[in-house]
Amino acid sequence: MRVLCLQENLAKGLSVVNRAISSRTTLPILQNVLLRAEAPASLKLSATNLDIAINCWVAAQVEEEGATTVPARLVTDFVNTLPAGERLRMELNVRTQTLHVECDRTEANFRVIDASDFPVIPTGDGESTLTLPPATLRHMIQQVAFAASTDESRPTLTGVYVTTDEQRLVFVATDGYRLAYRATPVDNVPSDLAVIVPARSLNELARIAADADEEGDATVTVTEDRNQVVFRIPGKGTHDSRGAFQRAEIVSQLIDATYPNYKAIIPGKWDTRVVLNTQEFKQSIQRAYLFARESSNIVKLSVVPGDPGALHVHASSSDYGDHHAVLDAIVEGPELEIAFNGRYLLDVLQVLDSPQMVLEMTKPSRPGVIRPVGAGEDEFLYVLMPMNLR
Amino acid sequence: MPIRVLPPEVADKIAAGEVVERPASVVKELIENALDAGARTVRVEIREGGIRQIKVQDDGSGIPAAEVPLAVRRHATSKIATAEDLEAIRTLGFRGEALASIASVSLLTLITRHREEATGTRLVVEGGRVQHQERVGHPAGTTVIVEHLFFNTPARRKFLKTPRTEAGHIHRVVSHYALAYPEVRFTYISDGRVVFQTPGSGRLLDAVAVVMGKEMAAQMIPVGEVEMPWPEAPPNPRVWGYVGDPALHRANRQYITIFLNRRWIQDYKLSQAIVQAYHTFLPVGRYPVAVIHVGLDPRLVDVNVHPTKAEVRFRDPRAVFAAVQKAVRAALVQVHPVREPRAEVHWSQPPGWAERRQSLVEAGQGSQQELTLPVEEEPGPLPVSRDPHPETNPPLTSPSQPRGKLLPLLRVIGQVGATYIVAEGPDGLYLIDQHAAHERVLYEKLMAERARQGQVARQQLLTPVPITVDSELAGIVAEHAAALEASGFEIEVFGKDTYLIRAIPAVLSGQDPTRVVEEVLRGLAEEKDVTGDTLEERLITLICKRAAVKGGQVLSDAEMRALVRELEACETPHTCPHGRPTMLHITAQELAKLFGRL
Repeated sequence: MRVLCLQENLAKGLSVVNRAISSRTTLPILQNVLLRAEAPASLKLSATNLDIAINCWVAAQVEEEGATTVPARLVTDFVNTLPAGERLRMELNVRTQTLHVECDRTEANFRVIDASDFPVIPTGDGESTLTLPPATLRHMIQQVAFAASTDESRPTLTGVYVTTDEQRLVFVATDGYRLAYRATPVDNVPSDLAVIVPARSLNELARIAADADEEGDATVTVTEDRNQVVFRIPGKGTHDSRGAFQRAEIVSQLIDATYPNYKAIIPGKWDTRVVLNTQEFKQSIQRAYLFARESSNIVKLSVVPGDPGALHVHASSSDYGDHHAVLDAIVEGPELEIAFNGRYLLDVLQVLDSPQMVLEMTKPSRPGVIRPVGAGEDEFLYVLMPMNLR
Repeated sequence: MPIRVLPPEVADKIAAGEVVERPASVVKELIENALDAGARTVRVEIREGGIRQIKVQDDGSGIPAAEVPLAVRRHATSKIATAEDLEAIRTLGFRGEALASIASVSLLTLITRHREEATGTRLVVEGGRVQHQERVGHPAGTTVIVEHLFFNTPARRKFLKTPRTEAGHIHRVVSHYALAYPEVRFTYISDGRVVFQTPGSGRLLDAVAVVMGKEMAAQMIPVGEVEMPWPEAPPNPRVWGYVGDPALHRANRQYITIFLNRRWIQDYKLSQAIVQAYHTFLPVGRYPVAVIHVGLDPRLVDVNVHPTKAEVRFRDPRAVFAAVQKAVRAALVQVHPVREPRAEVHWSQPPGWAERRQSLVEAGQGSQQELTLPVEEEPGPLPVSRDPHPETNPPLTSPSQPRGKLLPLLRVIGQVGATYIVAEGPDGLYLIDQHAAHERVLYEKLMAERARQGQVARQQLLTPVPITVDSELAGIVAEHAAALEASGFEIEVFGKDTYLIRAIPAVLSGQDPTRVVEEVLRGLAEEKDVTGDTLEERLITLICKRAAVKGGQVLSDAEMRALVRELEACETPHTCPHGRPTMLHITAQELAKLFGRL
């Protein structure tokens, strides 16, 4: 293997795949990153912790194809200290099992572990593939993944349910206390897509997708044996790009379980409906939460109908004091008092980007629904259970 | 059979059965007589667990020769004269049946000389019958020798346990009086071996050290005014004595000793008051060590309930209960209960961080004027271990440790094994168990919330989760439905042994409701027999246990700092709600010593 590449591109590629390096593993090979020089002009970097794997291709000048693995942490730290704009020349010495790296007037030799020891990572060539803009994919993950459970004792709920509904791709996550639902229309929908992807994998995907080429298409592929999913993100990397990758893939294990029937959880009707300024409501909840977090996160909302109607936000803590705010609101239906977990409200308000939002409720003991106003074809809703104090 | 009046011998034997149950009861009666006679020295000597011989010798007033034959007659006493006297008994005995009862079931020798008489009297009684009387020489006071106990009541004798067991009972009796009368010198000899001897110094702690051992005495915390003279039976209950450091706990209540007006009593409620004072200080199912005196006007208590007088009836039991609990609790929360090591370092004033660090660095280098404890030149045991009774001059007498600021400001250094937080304080190193600390923080928060709102906030579930439990747990759900609801659970019946969980305490939101409920119910089932806390307190303890961060969870610096800040704000930061310690403290001195700098 003999290859040349720019310091910025290699550093970027390493930072992407490093997300799959586990700091705690008993397998030494998993601490390594796999480098593979691929004709015509790519260096492929791979890392895995066996739950997820990340492949990342960066632009390179390949003089001789080949592959090897080097300690990820060491090579990352090394590359990051090299001057930007410099070209690195890497050459594998098979006899001494070292990777020789030259840059400017610096030379280093890294001990390698043979590439054949590295786990095989599947790539996205399966049957059910769908495509969508990378920004949409990222947005969907951000709006849904936070609602998944972090409690490993319920593995099903630690995942995001990725499925299709007519011509739409649907993401759903719930931890049993709140539920986030997001749908977007897509072309060429495979009818039988229904998998549970670990929320952790999706969060990594969203992070990588932040650097995607928005002109390209992200793809979602389920492997043929249906136990892995591959997300492919197009990158901005070209032969003269700086600090970019050509493309990246996240391969994630799927959670093998049956997802609960989420449709039954989404309330079909409402009695009281409040339209609010999203930003105003968010800031008010942020302030209320400062007090609520000291007392079981209770934030009380009182809806006052009228013209104009109002929403009162109340939180109190015996140790720190209390907070009370009145927000203008368009209210339909009767007055209502309800208490929600401030954390659950904040979580959704962080990811709502429409200027206006709707809060729909029936009773103080029944779930509330939050939706954005004017989201177009994209549909988002958030169901959360109230808290009660009798 | 026709009804007839029983001959006096038979009646005596029946009565004796009530008073004289076993050798220990003989010892008890004889010691009480000695104390009532104003003895300053009491010597108890037994052979073969008292079955063969019991000898109690005192230096009390003695009995005038003329009254000696009366002493062994039933209902003959010098302690009370009229029925009115019964209303305010100030002596230990008063029934006038002890000596008579003992005499009726043994071979009793009474040797006594009254202080103002020149010669003594020796009286021998066998089975209640006076065998002979003679004048003898004897130091002022009385010696009673009881031999062949129950020789004439074989049934009773059969029920005696081994000499060893009987000796154990006697040991307890003598111990109780030694603790009740620290100004009296008690010597207890069993089969020729001196078991213990109290100094009779009048200091309760000296008696505690002799009876319970020096090590235990070193871990005792004073309650109330422990210095003599003790108050003369006040109208409001006065409580004083010693209780063990929470680190000192036992598997049963036997180490709780309570005296009412210096009379050892057995009162479940009062011992419960002491146990409750330790609430959250002790692990579940463990009991404290305590020697507690209660002083109360004799008119407010009836000791004439049972011949052995171990049970009493208070006119206002709640007042006594509250007084005991309050006094013990106050003593406990005042004391700095970080238990290991016990060396205390006091700073003349709260130093700033720079000074604190400097002191830590310099500890053991001889420049320690700030320390109130002198630093020895040569290596030796810690100051505390050199003083056999550190609690006689205990740290709580120093006013520099006001209540509520028990925990100094701590600076988090890091985490060990993803389980313990390492922190630096003004006086050394603290190791904090993150789980226990978080439990404590949550516990106080939830208790405050419950006190304020009458219940705990709950979080509803999106869909009710069914849970199937075994019949034992199902019984618990049914039995404690109200308490479960007040603690934030909403569980409803959904068929045989199946329940629907609709809501759980808000502090647990995000967790698997099935596991939460199972764990809490199982916790309730396991602790079923342990009383002391109310059911709801136990529930809240269980909820906190579940909600707290677990050991093995990596915490960020910010999380650790937040946890330590919250712990500092706790009322009793040193133990978790189960009573396990939340932290270990290694003082600057101890560190210096460990590194050989001292």
